[in-house]
Amino acid sequence: MRHIISIIVENEFGALGRIAGLFTARGYNIESLTVAPTHDESLSRMTIVTFGDDNVIDQIIKQLNKLLDVVTVADITDSPHIEREMLLVKVEASSGESREEFKRMVDIFRGRILDVTETIYTIEVTGACSKLDAFLEALGEREPLEVVRSGAIGISRGDRRVQVEDRSEPAASNRTTGE
Amino acid sequence: MVLQVLADEGVDTIFGYSGGAILPTYDAIFRYNEDNRASDGIDPIKLVVPANEQGAGFMAAGYARSSGDVGVFMVTSGPGATNTVTPIRDSMADSIPVVAITGQVARGAMGTDAFQEAPIVNIMGNCAKHVFLVTDPEKLEQTIRTAFEVARSGRPGPVVVDLPKDVQTWVGEYKGHELLGIRGYRQRMESLRRSNLSDDEARRFFEMLGNANRPLLYVGGGVINSGAADELRAFARAFNIPVVSTVMGLGSMDTTDELSLHMLGMHGTAYANYAVEDCDFIIAVGSRFDDRVAAKAELFAPQAEHVAHIDVDAAEIGKVKLVDWSHVGQAGTTLRELTDYGRQTGFDKDFMPWVTHCSRLRERHPMDYERESPLIQPQRVLEEVNRLTGGEAIVSTGVGQHQMWAAQFMDFRRPRQWLTSGSMGTMGFGLPAAIGAQFANPDKLVIDVDGDGSIRMNLGEMETVTTYDLPVKILLLNNSGDGMVRQWQKLYFNDRFSGSDKSLHRKDFVKAAEADGFGFAERVNDNESLSETLAAFVNYDGPAFLEVMVDPDAGVYPMVGPGKGYKEMVTGDHIKGRDPDQAASTDIDSSEML
Repeated sequence: MRHIISIIVENEFGALGRIAGLFTARGYNIESLTVAPTHDESLSRMTIVTFGDDNVIDQIIKQLNKLLDVVTVADITDSPHIEREMLLVKVEASSGESREEFKRMVDIFRGRILDVTETIYTIEVTGACSKLDAFLEALGEREPLEVVRSGAIGISRGDRRVQVEDRSEPAASNRTTGE
Repeated sequence: MVLQVLADEGVDTIFGYSGGAILPTYDAIFRYNEDNRASDGIDPIKLVVPANEQGAGFMAAGYARSSGDVGVFMVTSGPGATNTVTPIRDSMADSIPVVAITGQVARGAMGTDAFQEAPIVNIMGNCAKHVFLVTDPEKLEQTIRTAFEVARSGRPGPVVVDLPKDVQTWVGEYKGHELLGIRGYRQRMESLRRSNLSDDEARRFFEMLGNANRPLLYVGGGVINSGAADELRAFARAFNIPVVSTVMGLGSMDTTDELSLHMLGMHGTAYANYAVEDCDFIIAVGSRFDDRVAAKAELFAPQAEHVAHIDVDAAEIGKVKLVDWSHVGQAGTTLRELTDYGRQTGFDKDFMPWVTHCSRLRERHPMDYERESPLIQPQRVLEEVNRLTGGEAIVSTGVGQHQMWAAQFMDFRRPRQWLTSGSMGTMGFGLPAAIGAQFANPDKLVIDVDGDGSIRMNLGEMETVTTYDLPVKILLLNNSGDGMVRQWQKLYFNDRFSGSDKSLHRKDFVKAAEADGFGFAERVNDNESLSETLAAFVNYDGPAFLEVMVDPDAGVYPMVGPGKGYKEMVTGDHIKGRDPDQAASTDIDSSEML
């Protein structure tokens, strides 16, 4: 089963490496991984798309929860959610016929043509990963010249949020340290 | 700054080897001791220098394992730090709290392939519980303090603090209390501390126990790490439940106790493994169904109708074996809550028939070995040492046959007496671990039971024993090779002893010990003089080394082959096995079956 795991991590040195390292060391799949800062500058949000049966996903979440940098982990595929990925693709569009065809396809997939030369279209399509797959599929024999995908991000619908529960400042030491 | 945090954390011993990138902090140790030396001239923070940084790591681990306090070691950048990868990983695998402080090249030089530079955050990040790199000197104090918090909280483990040289020389105001804001981790630790057993959970546990006739406690290192031995013993006695222990759990239950069946697993006692085969309810506490215990999870405890699991690490629940009752929490608290609940509700199911059955298993299938051979049997050596120490000594080991024989033939009356590299299986662990344990327990008898292969790995630390005049006893069982490897080659590789035979090795270990200044350095070649020499060795006042030339063909039995179930356990020529078809159903008479 495909799962989208959302992780809020401390914006600390080495956090990304530790999380990626955990997936490597334990042999978990990563289909895509994205990471970027959030509205709280001390935190980053990472989205990992992975495959595995329930036991594997359960282990992934539990193992992630053991990492110090990890603040919150959630499998957003647990509940209704929105998934988005961006695709940028360069195609050869030199004939009038192909230029028309690409414009139609871009309309159908609600994409945009971002850049044009005499021979090239650069197209943007945004949507769930499966939609981007479908777009690439639909190109058929018109082999793309270059493809770049952002990797998926996701967010739960409605009230559900992946958030930091305790927003308080770093706790003072609860041990007596000679003060 | 660094030293003040260490002192505040109660550190009295640092194991470590100096070098360029850690010099400022070594200088700070010198100055701290000079400023704070007691009138008796004793350093408040002792600095113990090994032969190799790996030794420092295992000394700190031996210190931590034998005392329960965080072990500390301090090494320089590059090779100093990479030499400690093995003890860091070893401590992670066995959940041992240590803090390693590694020097790093100055911040400006990082990433330039500077002299003695290594990417410690990357390397250790994959081995340790956590690695901190201090880039902001303002956070130096908080980071060191937090490292101790992380090492000892939850499931304990090793924490590395990588300190660039220019951060070490930074001067700032000492605050004395702040910690880093690791909110996610700290919140999880807080909920762990608050995770009390609900009445409903306790009720369901006792329902399962009430339905069981043959319950068995399967306990591991978690009981020792969380200081829950007393609670375990109280629980086992309150409800009369036999106990089998993993190699890491030895000592959590007094192994001489009537309810103790000693060790289970690949080389567990026959009676412990039969009890696992026969039980109908497994209660796992601080243990993790590791492959040396449950090579095939579905074959483990095949008659168990229920499996309960108590562990501090949620990731261990259901990782290997599906369980029908679990609680994530500290072993001690949970066992106490269960004991209280059972007492309050008047739980009085009588497990005496099962306990009697287990005692009978122990009488019928005791540990044994070749007693008629003219060659010294390693098991006999350990049996005699055990008689001399009464199960009261702290024992460390290397890895291999001698390790398993020591586990099988020695008693451990209390937790933290048995120091062994259980999960990683690191040869060379025994000697430095014994040194660390002796520093933590200066008045106790510490014996390193070692093999000729294992001791070679950290032989340089022999000198460390005499340098600090530690009364460590090194018992070398020399079988001229890597015995466990040979045993597997006999069993699975048709006697092709690739790389494991050392009969041509020329080393004279006794001369080596003499050269290192051991006042007692002897060798025993025959059965006749064994007892007398062993007694002299154990009672020697000071560093002692004894090499015993043992039968190179002695094997470790019982043995459950890799990937096999306990049903296929081989007990060897000297331990009485039971008819494989003679399972619990026929072995227990009908009144016991209830």
